[in-house]
This record gives sequence, structure tokens and C-alpha cells, in this order.
Amino acid sequence: MPRSAFLDLARPSRRHWLGYLLLAPAVLLIALIIVYPLFVSVDLSFQNVNIARLDQPRRPFTTANYERLFASEDFWNACWVTFKLVTIVSFFCFLLGLGTALLVNNRFKGQALARLLVALPWAIPEVIAVVIFAWLFDSSFGLMNWLFIKLGLVDQTINWFSSPDAAFAVVCTVMVWKGYPFVSIMMLAGLQSIPEDFYNAAKVDGARAWQRLVHITIPSLMPVIGVTLVLVMLWVFRDFSIIYVLTGGGPLKATQSLSIMTYEQAFGFFKMGYASAIGVITLIVCVIASRLMIARAPDNI
Amino acid sequence: MTRTRLALSAAALALAAGFLPGAAMAQGKVLKFVSWQKDERGVGDWWGSVIKEFEATHPGVKIEWTKVERGAYADTMTTLFAGGKPPDIVHLASFEFQKFADNGWLEPLDPYIKDSKLDLKGWAGQDTCSWNKQTVCTMMLYFGYIFAYNEDLLKKEGLAVPKTYAEFLAAAQKLTKDVNGDGIVDQFGTGHETKGGGGQYMSEMMNYTLDAGGRWTNDAGKVTINTPEMIEGLSRWKTIVKTSLTPRDLAAGEVRQMFADGKIALKMDGPWLYPIIQKGKAKDQIKLGMVPFKPPVGGSSNVLGIAADAPKENKKLVWDFIAIATSDKFQSSYATLGASPPPSPRADTSAASKDTPHFDLLMQATKAAADAKVDRIPKGLELQFNEFAKMVMEESQRMIIQDLDPKAVAATMQAKAEALQKQ
Repeated sequence: MPRSAFLDLARPSRRHWLGYLLLAPAVLLIALIIVYPLFVSVDLSFQNVNIARLDQPRRPFTTANYERLFASEDFWNACWVTFKLVTIVSFFCFLLGLGTALLVNNRFKGQALARLLVALPWAIPEVIAVVIFAWLFDSSFGLMNWLFIKLGLVDQTINWFSSPDAAFAVVCTVMVWKGYPFVSIMMLAGLQSIPEDFYNAAKVDGARAWQRLVHITIPSLMPVIGVTLVLVMLWVFRDFSIIYVLTGGGPLKATQSLSIMTYEQAFGFFKMGYASAIGVITLIVCVIASRLMIARAPDNI
Repeated sequence: MTRTRLALSAAALALAAGFLPGAAMAQGKVLKFVSWQKDERGVGDWWGSVIKEFEATHPGVKIEWTKVERGAYADTMTTLFAGGKPPDIVHLASFEFQKFADNGWLEPLDPYIKDSKLDLKGWAGQDTCSWNKQTVCTMMLYFGYIFAYNEDLLKKEGLAVPKTYAEFLAAAQKLTKDVNGDGIVDQFGTGHETKGGGGQYMSEMMNYTLDAGGRWTNDAGKVTINTPEMIEGLSRWKTIVKTSLTPRDLAAGEVRQMFADGKIALKMDGPWLYPIIQKGKAKDQIKLGMVPFKPPVGGSSNVLGIAADAPKENKKLVWDFIAIATSDKFQSSYATLGASPPPSPRADTSAASKDTPHFDLLMQATKAAADAKVDRIPKGLELQFNEFAKMVMEESQRMIIQDLDPKAVAATMQAKAEALQKQ
């Protein structure tokens, strides 16, 4: 009798147990596939390990990986490249995403098709998108060079992937193209939740379109904007395939972000202890950046 | 009656199993083999024939053959080994096996070689397989670059087939042009990969550095980049790339396809170029010969070994597999099916010479490279090869992009290579 009462999850005092019980499989799974590798990574970052094996004895504790990392020009360059990418791509994704969302939020003929076209880049797998862009920007036979020459913008072909600035611009372009539809979809959802009455009242008061955007639309969208920007920022931070397929981090490390550097050290040079240290620093930067963005946003985010 | 027969049969089977433990053990055994060459025409067929022979001579043992793309190969193999689940038959590129050997993940093959009396004397590139004074693999391909040229394009410009670097440069300059007049160069004198991995980039550069007499390191493993010969080689590479005598920013496969389609006039490459030419639009215009540079680029390609972590009984079976692949019969069929020179000096290549018109040329190029002891992996930098190759690629790109003096670049490379060796 006492045993059955102990297991009686319908009792008000035991009801929260059911919640924990239902959550347990998910928590265990997350612990297994996220938390455990995270701990292994942190542990590896404090060892001088080339190729890591779980069954090999633990190497002596050392902070050499971090000392080398902070003294490395490549690391600070990767931080700067990542910062530039996050800032530029997030800004243009936001601009384009909000612009297209405002556009397709209007009622017009072909609205459904326009919404589909706006969302299309999001549905295309990253690697396929990158291959298409690689050919568009091909230095010898790409469409962009042909177009620029025909329009008289340049008199000789641009070596898109041999120039650090051009390569960085191409990476940003592809990332914005791939990332803005997500912002657009989120903004569209936000726009549709703004009551029409707000706009009607503003129109009665004589507010122009720009004033309605600045004083009604943007403030009403702030909760969505905050969350979306954090998600876009984290996506740019960790994105690997676009840069890897397009430039591999080159030329002259102009597009080498922290994620590319981590991969190169781990699987290119087989320095897994050092790569883990970069991964740990990347994680810390990501957490701090996200926390700052959320903390600085208005309370309603 | 039937029941009695069944019982007797079962008893007989049980007895057989008891008296023949080896046979029972082999029943249903699967050896894992991971390779990037599975679907490659020619060499993939050859691997298939080795597997077929192995399975026919080892009843009850199957080989599970899995393809992993070359681009993801190092990651996949590292993960498999690190996770304690390596493939039994280990197939690796000759520039990456050193890390695996250094970790003790490759079984020393010397006892197997001794027991089976496999004669590896004169085996092309086999020296590369020696790690810490132990043989850890068998070399499966050593190649030399050949020269392919578009005869029609040369004739149109009134050019002879180049025999020296000076002639090559003059021809490449004349052949690089805007054919359709749209302001964009659409025909190139030569073609090199300038995008992608450091290893391939280095191989492309070596066409010029070797001809200038330069080497990355000497026989003792000392870095020798800051030498007049290497500086001359770097200058040549800078000239070819900076003046766009080669299309820029293309991967090796794309450059080969452009050559096969008649958009590039002169190309130095390995034996794998021929099948691509055969499928290209300009296949009838393309002729083959010895490269105009001396010595030709060459090197070891891929190796076969045994995972040190594999169960003992599997190791013996994997050695049987290696023994088949290295047998005279299969080395001879490698020449025919793979249309490449086999590493074995005992292989009968007469059939391949009849089937493949340029086979003797391939043999000649391989010999020229082997005689000059050319390899893509510099002695003394085997463990740091990937980092070294990346460094060479970046410094060369810097020289071209920032228009730096090759002399200064050679000094930088020398210092960085020495620092890598000390790591």
C-alpha cells in the first residue's frame, strides 16, 4: 500500500514527477550527444593530444594549447574574420529579411508565388547553393565576370577567389543569400501578429508609411527581431560548409573563421588538443555574445 | 527415418565444427575495407577482382567494401581509428599514413613479409612505407607525370611541341588568348589547380621547381627551400599563375575537364588524365609525350596495411588479401585494368602495352621520376606534411597576390618549414 502510494503520480504532491519522468529520455539523450562530447572536448583541450582516442590513457594536464592559441596570429585573425562575418551577414540578412517580409506582407497579385520565391534559398541545401555560386563567381568562366565586363564595370576579369577582399565579399554574399529567407519568414510571422487596428489608428492620426514603420512595426517586431538575430548570429558563427566548399578559408586566411580553423587543426593537421581549445573558446564567445544580445534587448524579448 | 537422418546430419555437422575450428571460425566472417577508389573506372575494377579472388580462396569470409569520398577520407578514417573501430584492411594515401603509423595504429608487416617470402626488392615507392624502421604498408602505386598537349592548337599557332621550360613558357603565352573576342580569356596555355588542398598545389608547383633543380628537403631531411634553384622554381610558378597562363581558382578535376574539352593547350599530369581525355570533346586532338621538364613530377600514391587493432585471426586474413594484391598475377592485371604502371618489378605488362597505347610512356615517366627519387612528400617533413603543404600554398599565394620577390618568399618558407620540423 505505501509502495503504490509512492508511485501514484496522480497525487498532487507527486504530479511534477510525471513531468520529470517524461523529460528524462530527452535529457539523457542530450547529455549523451551534447554534454558528454562537450566535457571530452574541454578535457582534450587541456592535454597535448594529436589524434585522440577514448581508450588511450589521459595525458598530463597542460595549458599549452591555450597559451599557444592566444599567442597565435592565426587565432586572432580567425576571431576578426568571424566577427566581420557575423556583423556583416547578420546586418544584411536583417535588412533583406525585413524588406522582403514587408513586401510580401502586402496584398497583391502573385503574393503566394512571391512568398515562395523569398523562401526558396532557405530550402536549397547549402552545398548545392555554394556550388552554384562558385560557378557564378568563377574567375575564368563565371557569369559575374561576364556581366561586369558587359556592363563596363571592369575591363578585366576579377579573380574572385584569389583576392582576399573579393573572396570575403563572395562568402558574405552567399551567406546573406542563404540566411535572409529565415529572417524573412520570422518577420512575416511577426508582422501578421500585429493588429491592423494599430495601423488604422495611426493613419487616422496622419502618420506616414515611414512613421508607421518606425513607431508601430519595428517596436511590435522587437521580440521576433531579438530572437531571430541571435539565431542568425549563431548560425553565422558555426557555419562551416559555405566557407569550406567556397574558399576553404583562403586565400591567405581571409575567410578562415573559427569553425574552419577548428576543423583544419583537428582533421587537416590532426592536432585535436589544440582544435578542442579553439572549440572551447568559440563556445565561450558564442555564449557570451548570445547572453549580451538577450540581456541588452528590451524586457519583452 | 527422416528424423534419424536429420539427427545424424546435425551430429555430423557438430562434429565437423568441433574438429575444424578454423573453418568454423571463418564461417560468416566479414573483413571491413574502406576505400575512395571503389567507383573509379579501371582501378576500382581491379580492387573488385582482388576481392573476388580473396572470397573465392577463403570460403565463408566476405569483404565489406565501403566507399568514402577522398575529400572526407582523412576525417572518416581518423574517426574510425579514434573510435576503436578501424577497418581491417587499411587503405590510405601515401601522404597521410604516417600519422596513423606514428600512433601505432598500423600493424608492422615485416613478420608477414618474412613468413610469406614476399620479395619487395625494386618495388616502386616501397621505401616510403618504412616507419620507425618497420614496414607498415605496401605501396600500391608510384607514378610519374606525363605531358599531354593539344596538337591542333599548337599547329594553329605554328608551334612545335615544347622540350624545355623556355619553349613551354613561350608556347603557353602564345596559346593563352580570348578566342571569341568578348574580352574574357577563354583558351589557356596550360592548366594547374590553384584552389583546394595544399598537397595538390605543391604537386603543381613542383613541375617548375624540380626542373629548376630545386627540392623542398635534401636526402638527410634538411630544408632546402632558400636556394637559388628553388627561388628560380618559385619565379617560374609566379610567372605562370600571375600572368594567368592557367585558369585561376579551379580544382584539379575542373582543370582536367577543360583540357579534355580543348580549352587548355598543354598539361602535365598523372596516369589518371588519360580516361578523362577519352571522354572529352578534344580527345582526337590530344597527344601524349614526356614532360618538357626534368625530372617529371612523380610520387607515391596510396598504400595498403593492416589495422593494429584488428583481431589476430583477421590480421592473417588481411595479409592474405595483401598477398593477393601484391602477387605477380594481380600486379600484371593492375597494369591492364588500372592502365597504370604497377609498383611490382615482376609484373608482366605486355598485355597492358597492347591494350593501352601510351602504357610504355607511363612506364618511362614513372622510371624517370623514380630514378630521380622524386616524391611529393618531402623527406623529414612526413609527419608535418599537411601543415607544410598548406604553408607552401599560402606563401605562394601571398607571393602572387602581393607581388612579392620569390627570394624573400623562399626565405620565409625556409624559416616556417624549419619551425614546423622543430614542433
